[in-house]
Amino acid sequence: MSRFWTQALAIARRDLIVEGRSRETVAVVVPFAAAAVFVVPFATDALDVRLATLAFPVYWLVGLLFGMQVALRQSAMETPSQRRQLALLGVDPVARFTGRVLSAAALVLVVLVVTAPLVLLFYDPEPIARPWSMAGVLVLFALGLAMVSTLAGDVTAGLATRTSLAPLLIVPVSVPLLLGAAQALESVVRGRTTLPWVLTLVVTDLALAVTGVVTARALEESNT
Amino acid sequence: MSRTIPRAILGAAALVAIASGLWLAFTSSPDVFQGDYVRILYVHVPGSWLAFLAFGVTALGSAGWLLTKRMAFDRIAEASAEIGVLFTAVSLFTGMLWGYPVWGTFWDWSDPRMSSTALMFFVYLGYLALRRSVNDPIARARRSAILGIVAVVQVPLVYFSVTLWRSLHQGMTVRPDGIAMDGSMVVALLANIAAFTLLYLYLMVERVRLARVEEIAAVADTELAGRTVAKPNLEGLS
Repeated sequence: MSRFWTQALAIARRDLIVEGRSRETVAVVVPFAAAAVFVVPFATDALDVRLATLAFPVYWLVGLLFGMQVALRQSAMETPSQRRQLALLGVDPVARFTGRVLSAAALVLVVLVVTAPLVLLFYDPEPIARPWSMAGVLVLFALGLAMVSTLAGDVTAGLATRTSLAPLLIVPVSVPLLLGAAQALESVVRGRTTLPWVLTLVVTDLALAVTGVVTARALEESNT
Repeated sequence: MSRTIPRAILGAAALVAIASGLWLAFTSSPDVFQGDYVRILYVHVPGSWLAFLAFGVTALGSAGWLLTKRMAFDRIAEASAEIGVLFTAVSLFTGMLWGYPVWGTFWDWSDPRMSSTALMFFVYLGYLALRRSVNDPIARARRSAILGIVAVVQVPLVYFSVTLWRSLHQGMTVRPDGIAMDGSMVVALLANIAAFTLLYLYLMVERVRLARVEEIAAVADTELAGRTVAKPNLEGLS
């Protein structure tokens, strides 16, 4: 394995170990996301028909907002001294970015996977003909959201306004991800091809990956 | 003094140009289908053009800062982004005003130009919020330069959205095969685009100058009694 991937996987492993110890995603964010899924029907008249139409939008919105929260939490874990230490050790900034994205994407996937059965249970949406075909879409959505959140986390690192500023940067940029994922699911339900929407996700993820690679060094300079 | 006179001349020229552009907008022929509502477009189109121009200049200023680390580029990027956000708001507002009588709705979600312009507006609001959140000038310049370059990707997407996706929005009026507009309308539109561009230049000059003054004031604050002694807070004392 190349040095780059060794470093990236070590960073990802470190983040996941820290998460495994603190259990913030599993013990705090996922229950909060589940509560959000449960609470939305109280804002409607809770008629079955209306809930069924709300199911997928609620799922993606909860996935976006809580996934963003998880990914931002991940990017906030590194202290300035840890970042300086990594820089002094010669860890490639791009490998650091990649590692953090991988760990954040894994945790975003946890949020998406846990909330999916809750939405099916509480909202009773139209049946999904090929649920397995959504696996790739979930991975692409999680990767994209992890990249946007990691980038926004780096741009706002150390700022007092970080918790409110980072979401303001993330949400508008995440729209192509939301659009691609939501339309892909809609296409699966309607029995249409998902290709255009999967391509939307792929192109968005590639654009974000290029942005992350190009800006990694400059962002490291600004944060160390 | 020597710098004040060209600024005043530029301001006066922008004012005259805007007045002339508006006069042309109100005296040009009404549209066959849209009637007098077409006059809104003489503000809407220049507003959109200025937004694109301003965000392009923000990206250039950002790149200039990253390459040279000269604060002048950061001031240009900041000034241009602020003006760009202002004119994006003008473009969105006038677009909605025009949309209601012509399309029958203030906002149409199926129109990619409207949605993408609104997204661009929010991204640059985030850019300005980021700038206000960072106190250190160097850190502010670096972080916002990165965002300024990344955000500009939206400009071509917004511009070409009417050709890339099916849209309710009018397509390109100026095309390689000609201009799909009456002569007097073209004159009014081009005059307003030129006038708004002149206004942009004037606002840029003033805003960049103000940013320079702000920087001098910030340095003066820290150096009032040496960097280790804070300026006394006299707020609320008479």
